[in-house]
Amino acid sequence: MEREEVFCCTGCALVRAALREAGFSETVDRLRAIGGERQRPVAPDPLGVREMDTARFLTEHTTPLDGGLREADLVLDGVHCAACVWLVERMPAELAGVAEARLDLPRGRVRLAFDPEAAPLSSVADWLARFGYALRPTRGDEGRQRTEAERKLLVRLGVAWALAGNVMLLAFALYSGLGETGGALASAAKWVSLALAVPAVIYGGAPFFQRAWASIGMAWRARDVRRLHLDTPIALGILVGVGHSTWATITSRGDVWFDSVVVLIAALLTARYVQLRSRRLAGDATERLLALLPAMARRVTEAGTVEPVRLDELRRGDIVEVAATEAVPVDGTIASGASRLDNAVLTGESRPIPVAEGASVAAGATNLTAPLRIRVEAVGEDSRVGRLLAWVREAETGRAPVVLWADRLGGVFVLAVLALAMLTTALWLVLDASQIGLHVAALLVITCPCALGMATPLAFAVASGRAARAGIFVKSDAATQALTEIDAVVLDKTGTLTEGAMRVVRHVGDADALALAAALEAHVAHPIATAIEQAVPNRPEAVTAVHAENGAGVRGTVDGREVQVGRPDWVAEACGPAPAPLATLLRAAAEGGSTPVAVAVDDRWRAALAVGDGLREDAPALIQSLRARGFDLHILSGDHPETVAHLARTLGLAGSRAHGAVSPEEKRQRVAALQAEGRRVMVVGDGVNDAAALRQADVGVAVGGGSTASLVAADVFLTRAGLAPVLAAMASGETAVRTVRRALTVSLGYNVLGAAAAVAGLVTPLVAAIAMPVSSLLVVTLALTQRVPHSSTA
Amino acid sequence: MIVLYLLVPLALVLAGAAVLAFRWAVRDGQFDDTETPALRILLDDPES
Repeated sequence: MEREEVFCCTGCALVRAALREAGFSETVDRLRAIGGERQRPVAPDPLGVREMDTARFLTEHTTPLDGGLREADLVLDGVHCAACVWLVERMPAELAGVAEARLDLPRGRVRLAFDPEAAPLSSVADWLARFGYALRPTRGDEGRQRTEAERKLLVRLGVAWALAGNVMLLAFALYSGLGETGGALASAAKWVSLALAVPAVIYGGAPFFQRAWASIGMAWRARDVRRLHLDTPIALGILVGVGHSTWATITSRGDVWFDSVVVLIAALLTARYVQLRSRRLAGDATERLLALLPAMARRVTEAGTVEPVRLDELRRGDIVEVAATEAVPVDGTIASGASRLDNAVLTGESRPIPVAEGASVAAGATNLTAPLRIRVEAVGEDSRVGRLLAWVREAETGRAPVVLWADRLGGVFVLAVLALAMLTTALWLVLDASQIGLHVAALLVITCPCALGMATPLAFAVASGRAARAGIFVKSDAATQALTEIDAVVLDKTGTLTEGAMRVVRHVGDADALALAAALEAHVAHPIATAIEQAVPNRPEAVTAVHAENGAGVRGTVDGREVQVGRPDWVAEACGPAPAPLATLLRAAAEGGSTPVAVAVDDRWRAALAVGDGLREDAPALIQSLRARGFDLHILSGDHPETVAHLARTLGLAGSRAHGAVSPEEKRQRVAALQAEGRRVMVVGDGVNDAAALRQADVGVAVGGGSTASLVAADVFLTRAGLAPVLAAMASGETAVRTVRRALTVSLGYNVLGAAAAVAGLVTPLVAAIAMPVSSLLVVTLALTQRVPHSSTA
Repeated sequence: MIVLYLLVPLALVLAGAAVLAFRWAVRDGQFDDTETPALRILLDDPES
C-alpha cells in the first residue's frame, strides 16, 4: 500500500505532481521525508479575518498608496519554501484588486498592495486559506522598530566602510614611500585622511562613544571602576588615535593612525550588525504569537441578535457566542449550550472535555462540537492565558555570563592600559623624552580591544545562525551558554514526548471491519473519530443512516452492512461480551491511558482499537542519552496522572519523577523548587501551558515546529519535528561557548603582545595597520570555522 | 603627479555617490529580506 503523501503546503503538492509527470519521482520520494515533518497550518480564525475589513483596522494597520490602494504588512502562517513564494506572489494575477504581494519567507510576512473596495482583506484571506495559509493581522510595532534599527545600523556600516576604504587607499600611498619623501602631496594625503576620518569617528563611532559615556557615568556614580564597559577602552583608543593624528597633521610632525582607527570602527560596527541580524528571527516569534490570539468576538445583544465586536469592547457580564471549531476568546462561564472543549493549548490535556451550562471555560480553548454562549468574566490581559503571556513578555534580553565577563573586562582593561601608559612615559623619559607622545599614542591604539569586542558577539552570532539553519532558534546568548550548564531536565508530555494528536495506536481484528469503521467515522466530528478516519486511507463511500449517540459511539450502514463503533460497554449491550483477543487489547488500552474503541459489524464483534496520543519515535533515544549524561529527569504534564505514569513506565522512568494533572502555575512552582535545590533546569515543552515553566527554567526549549504559543516563552525553539534537535541544540551551545573562550584567549593574547611591543617603542602606524586587522581576522576565522551542529533526526 | 589633486577628489565624489545609492537601497528595504529574492528567480515571469 502506498504511503499517504503529506506536504507542507499546496505549492509543494503541485510541484510534486509536476515532477512526477516529468519523471522525477525518486527525488520527490526523498523530498517527501522533509514534507512529512511539517505540520499542517491552522485554518484562519473567521472572526479575526472579519476584523481586517473594519475601517478601524484599515486606518490603524494599513497605509494609503496612490490610486486608492492601501498597503498592509501581515503575518502569513504556513509558508515554508520556494513553492509558497510562487503561490502567494501569484495572487495579483488571480485575484482582482490585489496589485502586489511580496512574501518575506524567513519571517513569514506578506506585504500587500490592495484595493479595499475590490479586494477586501477577508477575500484575500479566503483565497490564501484555500492553499492552507492563514493570514493574520500584525499586532504591535516591535517588528517595525527592529527593522528601523537594523536599517540605521546598516547605513552607518556602509558609510563607515566607504570612509575606511578611502582612508586605507591614502594610507597605502603614505606607507609605500610618500610618507618619507614628504612634500605637499604627502601633506595633502594626510589632510584628506583627516577630512575622511572625522565623519567616520563622529558618525560611525557614535554608538561606542554613547555607551562608553553611559558606562563612565555609571562607574562614577557607583565609584567602581569595574562598571566600565568594554566600549570605554575602545572609545579611548579611537579618541587618542584620532587626536594624535590630527595634531600630527596640523603640525606636520609625527605619525598618523587614521587608517587603523577607521577600520577599527567599521569592523566593530560589522560585528554589531551581524549580531543584530542573527537575532531577528527569534524576535519575530513574539509577534506571531500575538497574531494567534483572537481579537474579535460575537456579542449577543439584549435583542438576541449577534454582533461582531473587538475584544477590548467586551465588558464583564456580556454574553458572547462561540461557534464550533472556533477558539474561545474570553474567560467565563457557559450561559447556555453543551459541547466539547479542546484545552490542549492551555492545560496540556490531550482528551477533549465535555462542558455544559455553568462550567467555566478559559480563553484559548477550542470549541469542538456545538455552539456555546459564554458569560464574560475576564478579557485579554486579565484572562488566564493573557496573564501567562504578559508574564512571559516581561522577559529581558539575557546576556550570557561569558559576555558579561568580557564587558566587565572593560574596567580592568582601562586600568591596565593607563598603568602601561605611565610605564611607557617613565621608560621613554629616561630613553628619549621627545618620543613619549608617539609611543603612548601607539600603545593606546594598538591595545584598542577590537578583537576582544568582536570575539563574543561574532562567535555567538555565527553559532545561532548555523543553528537556525538546522531548525534550532536560540533567543539569547545567555541561553546558548545556559544550554551547556544544565543538570536537570523537565519534560512535558503532550506534544513533546508524544505527538500531541490523537491517532490509532494499536488495533486487532480484520482490516475490512476497520475500513468500514473509518468510513462511518468520517461522518462524525470528534477527535477520536478523526483519528480512526485517518488510520485508513481507502474507505468505502456508501454510508447511510448515520446515528451518533452522544458519549457512546456511532452506528450506521456502510456498503449495506450494519456498523457500530464506540465504547466497548455500549457495543457489548448489542453484541454480548467481547471475544478474548479483542478484550485483551481493550483492557490494555484503558490501563495504558488510551481510549478503547470497539467495532461491531452486523451485531458481531469484529475489531478493537486503542486511540491515544502516540509516543514520538525518538523519545526513548532522547531519554536514554539525557540519562547517559547524568541529568536529573522529570516529566510534568497536565494530562491524566494514569496516562503520565504509563508513559513514564514505557520510558523507564521512576514513577516518582512523573507527575500528571499539573496546572501551568504548578509547573512553574515545581521548576522553581528544583532551582531552589541548586539545580540548573532545562524545560522542554510545547504549549502555552508550558509557557510559565519555560520562562522560569534556566533554559526553556520549545519543540514541535511551527508557530506555537510557547515560542515566546522559550529561550530555544525547534522548528523541526522530533526531539533529536534538543540534543543538537545542546551540542551547538557547547561549541559556541568553546569558540568564545578560544576567541577571547586569542584576542587577549594579541593585546598583551601589542602592549609589550608598544612599550618597547616597536609599534609604528604600519605595524598597527597590519597587526590590528590580522588579530580581528583571526577572531572572525575562529568564529566562522566552528563546527556545525548535526541536526539529523536519524 | 599633479593630476592626483584632481583624481583623488573625483574618486571621493564617486565613492560618495555610491554611498548615497547604498543609503537609498537600504531605506527602500532591499536588505530587509535577503532570502526570498533568491527564490523568486525560480518563479515564472508574470504574463505581461
